Amino acid sequence: MVALVISLALFFDFTNGFHDTANAMATPIATGAIKPKTAVALAAVLNLVGAFLSTEVAKTVSGGIIKEGADGVQITPDIIFAGLMGAILWNMITWLKGLPSSSSHALFGGLIGAAIAGIGIHSINFESILQKVILPAVFAPIIAGGVAYLCTRLAYALTSRHDPETGDKLTQKRGGFRTGQVFTSSLVALAHGTNDAQKTMGIITLVLISAGTQAAGSGPQWWVITACALAIAIGTYAGGWRIIRTMGSGLTEVKPAQGFSAETSTATAILASSNLGFALSTTQVASGSVIGSGMGRRGTTVRWGTAGRIALGWLFTLPAAGIVGALTALLVQTGVIGVVIAAMAGTAAVAYMFVRSRKSHVGHHNAVQIEEVGQAVQFRKKKSAAKAIKNGGVQR
Amino acid sequence: MKWLELFSVAGTTLVSALTVVVLYSLGVRLTAIAGDTRSPAPSWTRPLAYTCFAVCAAAILFGLYLIIPYFHHK
Repeated sequence: MVALVISLALFFDFTNGFHDTANAMATPIATGAIKPKTAVALAAVLNLVGAFLSTEVAKTVSGGIIKEGADGVQITPDIIFAGLMGAILWNMITWLKGLPSSSSHALFGGLIGAAIAGIGIHSINFESILQKVILPAVFAPIIAGGVAYLCTRLAYALTSRHDPETGDKLTQKRGGFRTGQVFTSSLVALAHGTNDAQKTMGIITLVLISAGTQAAGSGPQWWVITACALAIAIGTYAGGWRIIRTMGSGLTEVKPAQGFSAETSTATAILASSNLGFALSTTQVASGSVIGSGMGRRGTTVRWGTAGRIALGWLFTLPAAGIVGALTALLVQTGVIGVVIAAMAGTAAVAYMFVRSRKSHVGHHNAVQIEEVGQAVQFRKKKSAAKAIKNGGVQR
Repeated sequence: MKWLELFSVAGTTLVSALTVVVLYSLGVRLTAIAGDTRSPAPSWTRPLAYTCFAVCAAAILFGLYLIIPYFHHK
């Protein structure tokens, strides 16, 4: 059981990696600041480095959402197994749909569902959920979007050049932003590595402690750190091209100055939140930034249809992962056979989604030039939106 | 509820992101002016542009310092 949970946790780390490549690298890929393959390689390396950098003990992931301790309940490997199952399946579904959704929320949702089904409703701390999950989900996009909007407006205002006599537009020479993007997006990738690899380390350590193979209160062992760092780096390199497409060209057209503003907002928001103790989801911050920067540049339209689908995805993350987690927890409770059935069903579902994804392949070669290629089979809304933009005339 | 934390995060994000973007934009603008061939630009534009970029680099390094706990947990 312990080995099963650890491998499942590492797989979750992998999905987390490729789900979140888009947060850092979607905008530089969209503007051509970094070549797609180079971008994911850079993100992978930075994630790897980031996972090793953070020496802080990976804290309990549930972070008070499930009541623990003397008067609380004991989290068993079974519950964690069920929670991970919910999180992985939801990550795969949103990836198939190309939706950037928060991996941490999927994990929380899965654990909450598993705890309700396996232990009971009293094991959940609802105030903690409101404070740690729901409020940040509302405010992260608003803060990041607002800041990115202002930044984009300012960036364009400061660099717009007109001939003083005739009032004609001069060459704008905004190429410098493209170089800047390399650094800002790297910062986002590094911040992601320090945050997200920690979650999986925390889970595996929790499992090892609860199984009695590791002393309580000790930090993650070196092989756990290495395995988690590698899993998230490989996942990042595998690249969630579908999500990159949504973030890079599905929400709005991204130009270098916009991309720079969006990434700066994302990086500062993540840094500020992780240092001031109000955790925000990387994914939600990044999506908000992209939308905000889209609103900030004149002549750009934000595809609210896509934005709405993303928001809907966020709304469903917690309950959907929770339901899968709960079902798995019920199965696992029936004994060894239940565990086997759950593991088989999970593997089958992941394999099915992988096969589905093959049918409409999205890779580094077509992640963002999709409008020219015209392959947007599942994205009809985007096509019509693209037409609207072409008709409206794009101003640079 | 942690409203204070929320507001401080929002405020910090706003101020620091605006600072970086404004400085970088100024740098880009000044480089553009310095590179103008039609009308010769004042000689101070290019150094000033580089100063702007340097301050931005410093901001990024500060971000790195914040990310890596090794620097400030001992």
